Amino acid sequence: MIVTRRHAVYGLLVPFFIFFVLFWIAPLIEGVRMSFFSNEIFGDSSFVGFENYRTVLDDERYLKAIKNTSVYTLASLILILPLALILAHGLRSVFGKVRPLFQFLLLLPGLTPPAVLALLFLLVFHGRQGLLNQWFVIPFGWKYVNWLKDPDFILFALVLQCVWRWVGFITFFLLSGMEAIPKMYYEALQIESTRSWDRLRWVTLPFLRHVILFCVVYLIVDAFALFSGAYVLLGGSGGTADAGLLMVSYSYQKAFTFGQFGTAAAMSVLVAPCLLFLLWTCFWGYRRLNLGSPSKIQKA
Amino acid sequence: MKRNTKILSKQVLSSLWVGSLGLLFAYPFAWMAVSAFKENKQIFLPLEFWPEKWDLTFFGQLLNSEWIPFGKVFLNSLIISVGQSLGAVLLTSLAGFAFAKHEFRGRGFLFVTCLCLIVLPRQMMAVPLFQWVHTLGLYDSIWGVLLPGMTSGLGVLYFTQVFKLIPNAYLEAALIEGAGLWRTYRLVLPMLGSSLLSYGLIHFILAWNEHLVPMLILNSPEHQTLPLALSSLYGSSLRFPFAVLMAGSFLAMIPTSLFFLISYRRFKNSLSNVMMS
Repeated sequence: MIVTRRHAVYGLLVPFFIFFVLFWIAPLIEGVRMSFFSNEIFGDSSFVGFENYRTVLDDERYLKAIKNTSVYTLASLILILPLALILAHGLRSVFGKVRPLFQFLLLLPGLTPPAVLALLFLLVFHGRQGLLNQWFVIPFGWKYVNWLKDPDFILFALVLQCVWRWVGFITFFLLSGMEAIPKMYYEALQIESTRSWDRLRWVTLPFLRHVILFCVVYLIVDAFALFSGAYVLLGGSGGTADAGLLMVSYSYQKAFTFGQFGTAAAMSVLVAPCLLFLLWTCFWGYRRLNLGSPSKIQKA
Repeated sequence: MKRNTKILSKQVLSSLWVGSLGLLFAYPFAWMAVSAFKENKQIFLPLEFWPEKWDLTFFGQLLNSEWIPFGKVFLNSLIISVGQSLGAVLLTSLAGFAFAKHEFRGRGFLFVTCLCLIVLPRQMMAVPLFQWVHTLGLYDSIWGVLLPGMTSGLGVLYFTQVFKLIPNAYLEAALIEGAGLWRTYRLVLPMLGSSLLSYGLIHFILAWNEHLVPMLILNSPEHQTLPLALSSLYGSSLRFPFAVLMAGSFLAMIPTSLFFLISYRRFKNSLSNVMMS
């Protein structure tokens, strides 16, 4: 920490905070204001108090959207993190020459615009002609599954899309972290145990705990913000029986299909505390879980 | 000798399963690339991989802007993404420098406010943002997408970590020599080359792939970004040749992939450094 002429420091922050206030704080305030006004967007809207919030909370479709978003978030976390951990571990013992190539192949979905991704995804998950049906369902003599029309499978398909998209990136982050772990910790552990589970539990996980926390937060925020994948796959609606209705797509639909801007703004405002609560739970869990810090191992 | 065989077999095994998963992940992209040469009726039969003949008509149609103003849209996307990532690198690295190396009143409060920026994604504030951009008079202008995209909480967090890695001695030496804050910042920047590049890359990828905010703000076809134009093609009509869409999607992946491949090594090293601090 260096101390200079005090006021000069604020000069470094000014450019950032100008944009911050102009394009983040201001829309936030605007959103809160809109949520208290009636639905007309320009000009003559009138103050309606908590009317919009009541509409939203009484709306069964909104509750459904919350439920779907939660299931989607949880399922993608549960699938992505272990898979990425295993992949990162596997990549470490892949031949050095092809390692960057494999990494690139895994990352490819993450580098692609979600609109394109959803389009390709359609190829795999399409009804009769889809690859999944053609390869794995029809050859076994089962009736093909219409993945994107059948309400039992829509959410599952969205989760799989999320896995496909992010596993590469998360693997990349975890691998970068793993490669920075000093070898001596593994060597020290070798004296006590040679089981790979112990290596994972006592060295790798404790070292990667910041990285894992970062990945969890990133995935949660991204899952809450999911829009374009679902938008292209389901055409801006919730799919059959609203089985794929998510929070962002619902608020988009409210605003731009039904023109109920006040209600849509109330939805956006209501999402914030949910997300904050969820992330707070993460940080709390992170503290409680206490994977043990590497320094403790050093002492042991 | 025995130990060597064991390591080798492990390497072969890992290469096999990781490689096959990688191929599975990348298969749809390969299909997309070859489908840019296919007639519609063949595209709807995904089991046929190779096209009947390799002709470039569909690429030609795309590049001649027969369906969407491709050149213009591509350029828009490029301007928006490059602008956003340069802007974000500049703004957040300045802020990160202040947070990492200086003590000032309100530091904790301002830092936590920045973190809230990560926590509430822009997609969620899309409806109010749309209204606000309208108020500012930036509706249907590239600036309406470029400027809001220049703030990033992730960037502040990242650069605060990065600047913490720089020994104070450098900064003190610069200050003793009489350099001001801005000059000191410019002096240490070359030490951070990889970190600046890495963050720029991540931000570029996110900006390039962004869908919702440009969709709300950009209206007229020649102001749109590439993902928007491509998804407007999808489902436009049954007679529309899907190969054009495939060709466009293929070209849409090139900038991010190229950028990633060029900076792969530096990207990974600087991530390792920051993560372990």
